[in-house]
Amino acid sequence: MSSFRFFDPHAHMTSRTTDDYERMAKAGVRALIEPAFWLGQPRTNVGSFVDYFSSLVGWERFRASQFGIQHFCAIGLNSKEANNEGLAKDVLEILPRFALKEGVVAIGEIGYDEITPAEERAYQWQLEFAREHDMVVMVHSPHRDKKRGIIRSIDVAKEVGIDMEKLVIDHNNEETVKSVLDAGAWAAFTIYPNTKMGSQRMVDLTKQYGADRFIVDSSCDWGVSDPLSVPKTAKMMLEQGVPADAVEKTTWKNAVTAYGHSGQIDFELLDAKPVIDQRQLFMENSVLRGQEAQVDEGVPN
Amino acid sequence: MSSTDMPPLTAPDLQKLSAWLDAAVAACPGSGHAAKYAAWSEGVLAGLAAGASDGQFCQALSAASRYAPKGALAPSPQLVADAEDLLAGWNPSRWTALEAARVRLIVERAKADPESLLSALEEAFRYADEGELCALYRSLQFLPGPERFAVRSAEGCRTNMKTVFEANGMDTPFPEAHFDDVAWHQLCMKSLFVEAPLWRVVGFDRRVDEELARMALDLADERRSAGRRVFPELWMCMGSAESGLEATKRKLAAIEKELSGDDELSRKGAILALGRLGQTERLEEIQADGGTYFGPIAGWALMGRHDQTAFASISPPEGAEPQTREHEEGRAQGALLFPGDTDSDPATDTPGNPS
Repeated sequence: MSSFRFFDPHAHMTSRTTDDYERMAKAGVRALIEPAFWLGQPRTNVGSFVDYFSSLVGWERFRASQFGIQHFCAIGLNSKEANNEGLAKDVLEILPRFALKEGVVAIGEIGYDEITPAEERAYQWQLEFAREHDMVVMVHSPHRDKKRGIIRSIDVAKEVGIDMEKLVIDHNNEETVKSVLDAGAWAAFTIYPNTKMGSQRMVDLTKQYGADRFIVDSSCDWGVSDPLSVPKTAKMMLEQGVPADAVEKTTWKNAVTAYGHSGQIDFELLDAKPVIDQRQLFMENSVLRGQEAQVDEGVPN
Repeated sequence: MSSTDMPPLTAPDLQKLSAWLDAAVAACPGSGHAAKYAAWSEGVLAGLAAGASDGQFCQALSAASRYAPKGALAPSPQLVADAEDLLAGWNPSRWTALEAARVRLIVERAKADPESLLSALEEAFRYADEGELCALYRSLQFLPGPERFAVRSAEGCRTNMKTVFEANGMDTPFPEAHFDDVAWHQLCMKSLFVEAPLWRVVGFDRRVDEELARMALDLADERRSAGRRVFPELWMCMGSAESGLEATKRKLAAIEKELSGDDELSRKGAILALGRLGQTERLEEIQADGGTYFGPIAGWALMGRHDQTAFASISPPEGAEPQTREHEEGRAQGALLFPGDTDSDPATDTPGNPS
């Protein structure tokens, strides 16, 4: 594990504490993407969105940097709140002011929740915006009726003309993975107890399908979730014989490639400093005081 | 920067400033894609000159990150000298190229319609990301009707983003010229708290006063009660020997307490403060007994080298020079916002006493 570094391409850090940042940094997480989503309850006015988007490109970016973690984000109107159509209209009006800012690597997370016409309109509008500005799209797949939601989200993205190389479908599982791979999009998996994937299932899927189009993330948020999902799953993969280069693909390289299409990731910076730092930390044990990186058992299902 | 002989502040010539910014961006180390940037900025500047909406102005500030050169502006010594001629107190040495490109846009907006500038800038502040905030705050020193922006700049002192705090408060003549006493004292005190370089607050020596000295001494007492080190630059706030007898007694007692402590940088700061208070005899004593470490500092102080720039040597080390998008990129754990955090051992879980 000692030479590994991780890119967690889905982490809602505004909901997390500095303890989490510390543990992530210690476990080798060097960069992450924080996609815009809902707050666990619906917002009532557009000003709340302005302040939220603003915190993603401001305070949270700075907060992450204090722990040596590069913070990128995705800006979008989530599917749940798309159902408040008056509010959705206001949000889409101010969205372009944030979507084209520095360090915004995608439009996201967008897609379906209940697969309503209102959700579809907001999804389509944002896909068109992404296409016009040549942006990457991060799609949230629904909890209920997931398989149909994913197929539909891919179909609509295709209709709008989104390049499959710039489409990441998130929160996949055993039942949905094939549709995503067949479409040529990136298949992301969220390692999140109870509702999404567990580490062991992720290991099995990687063995079955290979790592070429897989992306592992934590989606850690305000629910019972784990900001160390990615390193923990990588550890389990290695222990169970998944080749190191495949582990690197799922927990670093593929996310960097997919979201790198935004032009907002400085590859040199991402490669240079953090890697050197991390190796120094581990080899000299100067900061960790002889302690192995803090990576425990895999995330339970 | 000389501490006492600066000419009075005058508003800079915006035409000359525009030319300076264009020249500096064109000459910066990262200007490899200069043609792409030049083409883009030409169009945007023309749009701003013709009267852009607030929304277009905000989007131009954002989009600059996609076209401007990356990394430090690194102006030549000649450009730095020219900057000082344009606006006394302005020091662009630590600017990024992107900040210069953004300030260029703001200046163009200022030229186009100075009347509506305040509302346009407030809109830009509302939607700004971290890097845009830095550029916006850096621009305030150049704008016509600067007193209109004093409230905004005072707000900038309330930020918890150290990058933004420094862009607002350091290397610019704005605070000295336009802050009221409350804002001025808060800028200076917060610089100590977040370990921003107080010596780079332009005009500090001209505006240091007894109220600031009192606040600083109270802070020193509070730090000692908590078992924490006193910030070395705190001793800058001792001001001059012209305070009343009681105040001077308190200052000297606090300085002596520091000199008997074991924090080397803070002791150096206390020695410089003796110079500020004209304590020649005590300094001669230290020079004689202070060995190779403290002796030379006392010697400097005796020669009058105790102005704010003399405190640069005991100021917190600067973070890595900006390498990419924003200042903060070069910062790892060595530049935590809250001082003292770096002293704690990240590998232990025992309850500590982080400052």
